[in-house]
Amino acid sequence: MSGTRNKRATAAFVLAAVLPIVLLLLSLNIGAYRIPPKAVFTTIVGAVFPGGASGGPSPYADILFRIRLPRLLLALFAGAALAVSGASLQAIFKNPLVFEFSLGISYGAAFGAALSLVFLGRKVPAQAAAFLFAIIAVLAVLFIAGKAASQVVTILLSGVIVSALFQALLSLVEFFANPYALQSLIFWLMGSLAQAEWKDLGLTLPVIGVGVTVLILLRWRMNVLSLGDDEARALGVNINREKIAVIVLAALTTAAATAVTGVISWVGLIVPHLVRMAVGADNRKVIPLSAAYGACLLIVADDIARSVASFEIPIGILTSVVGIPFFIVLLKKSGKIWL
Amino acid sequence: MIPAKSILPFVLPALAAMTIPAAGGQALSPVTIVDSLGREIVVPGRVERIISLEPEVTRIIVALGEGKRLVGIDFFLRHHDRLFPLVFPSSERLPVVSNQGQDLNYEEAIRLRPDILFSSPSEFRMTESIERKMKRPVVALASMGRFRDLLTEIETLGRILGREERAAELVSFFGSRMGSVRGIGPVRAADAGPSVYLSFWGSLLRTPVSYEPVGAAGGNNLASRLLPSYLGTAGATVSLEQILVWDPEVILVQGNYPPAERQVTVEGILGDPRLASVRAVRDGRVHYTFGFWYWWDPALVLVETAYLARLFHPGSFPNFDLTREGDAIFKEFYGVEGLFSALCRVLECHEWNPE
Repeated sequence: MSGTRNKRATAAFVLAAVLPIVLLLLSLNIGAYRIPPKAVFTTIVGAVFPGGASGGPSPYADILFRIRLPRLLLALFAGAALAVSGASLQAIFKNPLVFEFSLGISYGAAFGAALSLVFLGRKVPAQAAAFLFAIIAVLAVLFIAGKAASQVVTILLSGVIVSALFQALLSLVEFFANPYALQSLIFWLMGSLAQAEWKDLGLTLPVIGVGVTVLILLRWRMNVLSLGDDEARALGVNINREKIAVIVLAALTTAAATAVTGVISWVGLIVPHLVRMAVGADNRKVIPLSAAYGACLLIVADDIARSVASFEIPIGILTSVVGIPFFIVLLKKSGKIWL
Repeated sequence: MIPAKSILPFVLPALAAMTIPAAGGQALSPVTIVDSLGREIVVPGRVERIISLEPEVTRIIVALGEGKRLVGIDFFLRHHDRLFPLVFPSSERLPVVSNQGQDLNYEEAIRLRPDILFSSPSEFRMTESIERKMKRPVVALASMGRFRDLLTEIETLGRILGREERAAELVSFFGSRMGSVRGIGPVRAADAGPSVYLSFWGSLLRTPVSYEPVGAAGGNNLASRLLPSYLGTAGATVSLEQILVWDPEVILVQGNYPPAERQVTVEGILGDPRLASVRAVRDGRVHYTFGFWYWWDPALVLVETAYLARLFHPGSFPNFDLTREGDAIFKEFYGVEGLFSALCRVLECHEWNPE
């Protein structure tokens, strides 16, 4: 049994190292504007080696580098961020149902975006406001939990309170919004990668990159934390400090992703569960694999969102509509939750 | 024999009622109409007190000269419509009978004792619910973004209010103005118009699959085949790449809002490097237009169609003056001078005209 799981884990790691890059390259070929695969290749080669192979015609370069690449990179980073945050929070709270929604991050971000879209016009970009309020939401959760922030029940209850508060504030903003701003807000809340631009990614990708990397580096400690508080203390771990560090990092990465993509739910719940089903609950494997497969999931979801019809389907709707039944089937089949 | 003197007090009022038309020339016998939901509704002959939850209906009632019969209006017209307070200033005194979600405040509505209520056909359950609770005829009417239905709506309201002649006048004016737009120069040729992409509802990527003023002005809405036609004016979300594939000659941005409230701007699109290769951006043919605003104002959509025809075929309208044209059309509908100029000051639409 253990041998099978080890083989599966090795295969999963090999696949995780290759699959996101393969999917990204394949996805560069998908889009409403038809670009022959050969032209995609020559355009990329032409951009990497300007003096070498000739680049494709100019519209191809514009579409590949101004539209598709930023969008795919955002999908890659946001998928990794959401999945790693979910996996990390589930590990430290020893609770399989914790994810970014549980800490008020999503509703905090949504409220920030709503404030910007409804009351501030174009003075403060929705992304900046969403990021700010996602962080405020997490700080509020930590403040309410106080010294008991490392306790599962306390932090989850604080998350429920903060989520409820921001949800109510969001409703209040919606109530006072004029119909025009309300339409923008509803569109934002559905989640989309369609508007990805380099100027947004310049701020978002470094934050996500650092957050995800540090969380992956902390995967050993998450194993210790998931043993239980007494065991962790016996091994010399400062539980409060470690847990709060993980919470803050998870919040930062999720907030950075949500601020640009809008609300994309279920990735942080589904991916870690799938990974645990494949390789077991060892966080040394679960955390990095969640990053890779989260990235893959969002790239594929975005490919579907933009290619299944001549119009776009908001990716947040797609991840929910496809993800929830998929998750139910998996739970029913397995009959247990891996943690 | 009954002395004439003794029956006069009864006969004279009866004769007067038969010969003197009711306020606004309204017929006294009940009128049967078919609303936008296809329901046959018997409307009382004397409709003096009206509650309207549908902004488009309210606007037409005012255009028919019967704004004085309104006893309650909806939340949107009071709080978000820039045009209606200019068209009908006394609406400021009318109570608002719905909330932000356009749900009816029943107690307020009952207090106002309406003879009839108008609701939105897109909320058919609400229409039936109001009818059950208010025990008054509730007529669901709206154009749903179709010219044909807008004209039917005007005629139906004319019948309900006993203002058939005025309704016919408006319909005729609408038709003749629309005909003059359609009949000029290259607009006649269906395939001569430019390809158009519409950015509506506060997003560059949200677009209506049907927007009749574009077709009437001789343009070709590129999104028109995205969704089945029975979905009417439904909005679709497209990708940036789809816009590049379409390569529209003209991009129109919904501008029916004060500049500070616009999430998508003409300047933003012209400066977006991702759209730099699009013909409309290269040629500087990115413009504001009015767009839906809880369906239409009948005068404004006529002005808009003329404005679009000018944009699409500048050579065919050498002397076009948006403000002058707009003021003339609004005068015909609402009988007030300078209405469109006043709206333009709010929307800054005097800067929209490219020439």
